[in-house]
Amino acid sequence: MRPIVAGLLLTALALGQTQPVKNPHTTAADAAAGARIFRSHCADCHGLTGKGGKGPDLTTGVFFHGGSDAELHRTITDGIEGTAMPGQFFSADQVWQIVTHVRALSRGGTAKAPPGDPVRGTALFNAKGCNGCHLIRGNGGVQGPDLSFIGSQRPATQLRQSILDPSETVDRTYWTAEVTLENGEAYKGFVMNEDTYYVQILHPSRGLLSLPKRNFRKFEVSKASLMPSYKDKLNDAELNDIVAYLWTLQRPRRAE
Amino acid sequence: MNNTWKLLIALSSAGLATGQVTYERLLRAENEPQNWMTYSGSYKGWRYSALDQVDRSNAGKLKVAWVYQMPITERIETTPLVVDGIMYLSEPPSNVVALDAATGRPFWRYRRSLPAKINVCCGQVNRGVAVSGDHVFVGTVDAHLVALHAKTGAVLWDVEVADRKSGYSLTGAPLIVKDMVISGVAGGEYGIRGFLDAYDIKTGKRRWRFWTIPEPGQPGSQTWSGDAWKHGGGPTWVTGSFDPAQNLIIWGTGNPSPDWNGDVRPGDNLYTDSAIALDADTGKLKWHYQFVPHDVHDWDAVQVPVLVDGEWQGKPRKMVYWAHRSGFFYALDRTSGEFLLGKPFATQTWAEGIDAKGRPIRKPGIDPSPEGTYVWPGVQGATNWYSPSYNPLTGFFYLTAWENKGLYRKGDAEYIAGNRYIGSVPEIDLTDEPGWGAIRALNPKTGERIWEHKMHTKPWSGVLTTAGKLVFGSTGGWISRERTAMESYFFALDAETGRELWRINLGGTMASNPMTYSVNGKQMIVMPAGSGVFAFELP
Repeated sequence: MRPIVAGLLLTALALGQTQPVKNPHTTAADAAAGARIFRSHCADCHGLTGKGGKGPDLTTGVFFHGGSDAELHRTITDGIEGTAMPGQFFSADQVWQIVTHVRALSRGGTAKAPPGDPVRGTALFNAKGCNGCHLIRGNGGVQGPDLSFIGSQRPATQLRQSILDPSETVDRTYWTAEVTLENGEAYKGFVMNEDTYYVQILHPSRGLLSLPKRNFRKFEVSKASLMPSYKDKLNDAELNDIVAYLWTLQRPRRAE
Repeated sequence: MNNTWKLLIALSSAGLATGQVTYERLLRAENEPQNWMTYSGSYKGWRYSALDQVDRSNAGKLKVAWVYQMPITERIETTPLVVDGIMYLSEPPSNVVALDAATGRPFWRYRRSLPAKINVCCGQVNRGVAVSGDHVFVGTVDAHLVALHAKTGAVLWDVEVADRKSGYSLTGAPLIVKDMVISGVAGGEYGIRGFLDAYDIKTGKRRWRFWTIPEPGQPGSQTWSGDAWKHGGGPTWVTGSFDPAQNLIIWGTGNPSPDWNGDVRPGDNLYTDSAIALDADTGKLKWHYQFVPHDVHDWDAVQVPVLVDGEWQGKPRKMVYWAHRSGFFYALDRTSGEFLLGKPFATQTWAEGIDAKGRPIRKPGIDPSPEGTYVWPGVQGATNWYSPSYNPLTGFFYLTAWENKGLYRKGDAEYIAGNRYIGSVPEIDLTDEPGWGAIRALNPKTGERIWEHKMHTKPWSGVLTTAGKLVFGSTGGWISRERTAMESYFFALDAETGRELWRINLGGTMASNPMTYSVNGKQMIVMPAGSGVFAFELP
């Protein structure tokens, strides 16, 4: 008897695993409840309409951390480690309602490419010196954000805006520390971490440094971007091309 | 009888004499500073030790004696107990281990199997055990109280305190009073109706229950309307103190439910956010003091009550000192609950002050709103559940304080059993103004600050003071936006000046309280960090 029972159990388990988890809260009332939560807790980063901002566009129908109901539920509940996406403090039922609203936002949405020629954009990106500061899949500098998957992380409108006005929204990771030590040595670099006793920076030429605060004569943190505005350095067509190129830098989709 | 047998009997009876924690020993815990027998070290709630081997002259030499690593992923919030060379401590979620206090090696481990769904707001945590006789007691996140045999970890009894499915859990350390084990409950984010319970140590039979939310017709019920009292909150998740002379258990209560939307519960909402004083034998309320009537910011009064006898404005008085989550330091009369003093110990923007009767004078425009309202302190308060300390040698009150503001939002709150019943979610760590922390020393007779030790981040752990005139504390806030690194320094300060004497980076979450004990003539200082419990000693 035993092997048969075990066999049945295994079959049941295997079936259980392939059975997709369905969102149990999909009524109009659920969508409305989800919309209310979204407005107060998600819109700050994803925008009121879900078109993105500090956070990714949720209207394209493409979810890079998994697009199944269960995956969306998990992402909203736990957050995404290593990103600004926090876990949320809601009941499982409320999270399902948020999932329903997020689905409504992306209904009919397609990952439509912005206008512009990505091939020309690639050439421009290098010609204009962007690669001197930005790293893309291992190539480039480290004086600005890594853009390897920026197409998944920001909507095209936000990419465009960041090129025209880089200081409008600067992620805390790219705030700049300016430090002068008692002996007169000066350092400028991205603030990686700061605690009670040390400031850790990424220095453009000297790399990763821990500077002890007890030796500081001056210490200032600037929230402005180090990147110059490209408003007068690119014409409209060139801007479109670069945005089109950046938009192609998508995170590979996870196998579902 | 031969000599070997005589020796064995002598040894075993010596073991009995020292291995049993009696009520008399708990009453006089100060007389045996080598041990740490209750959550706060004594009934007075001081988290103070008379040990002085480690002092200001040698604290700089402290080194790691041993580390006990827990096979866990949850956050450690426990305060270990030490009785005659054996350390008893809880591991999250609801496990218990007995260690050799000299080496950190475990003797036994109780591992509780738990149901899949546990209703806890903020992690499956546990803050410690209680010990009496041969019993070790632990509350569990599935809302049971369990008695274990101190020598084997075997289960002696296991009672359901409340229904976990309706949002109750037990996370605090129980307290032994006489022949009873006193236990509170958590669940203020699930719309529980809070209470404090007393159980018979031997049998697990309940002796009394005090409901922190009165039912209609009971005193205090006029501060509620409709059915709101049924899900009114008022949890009791941090261990209180005991005044044997007055036979009073003094305990703090938590927030009303739902937390950030008070529309369904007009009124003061007694006895939420209060200090309650209960007759130890009957559980009857003797007095109460409510810190925040009709709280809409989640400012629990779940701090350890610090009981001090002394002079108050020239007259002898029994006081309770209380640094409340809302940012005010209070002194109350312990016989009546009379308000004596209320003074801010950190930046706050919600009250003009406290009136002569002890009621806060609220400022306008501080309630949560759909678009968000900025208020100091933020939702985790200007202090929280982690312990303060009182040092009789300096006469100062020490605490971990936060300088921070929060964005309070108001949303819908519908009660569904077992779901969060909170009414929106505030923002805690504001990107541009994450806030910072400090260890502060206050003169408890005036509320004035004597000194502070500033920290870059907001710590999550309490303080210990000792007769070596030391304060032990730690930093423990996030230092990177991605929440991948924490500031984790454990340090010793001069209790008189706040000067830092020693520190070590332990590199993990620090969210409990330091304690100290002595074994084989050596004073040990203990602090959990990450998944480890670190014990420090002099070379």
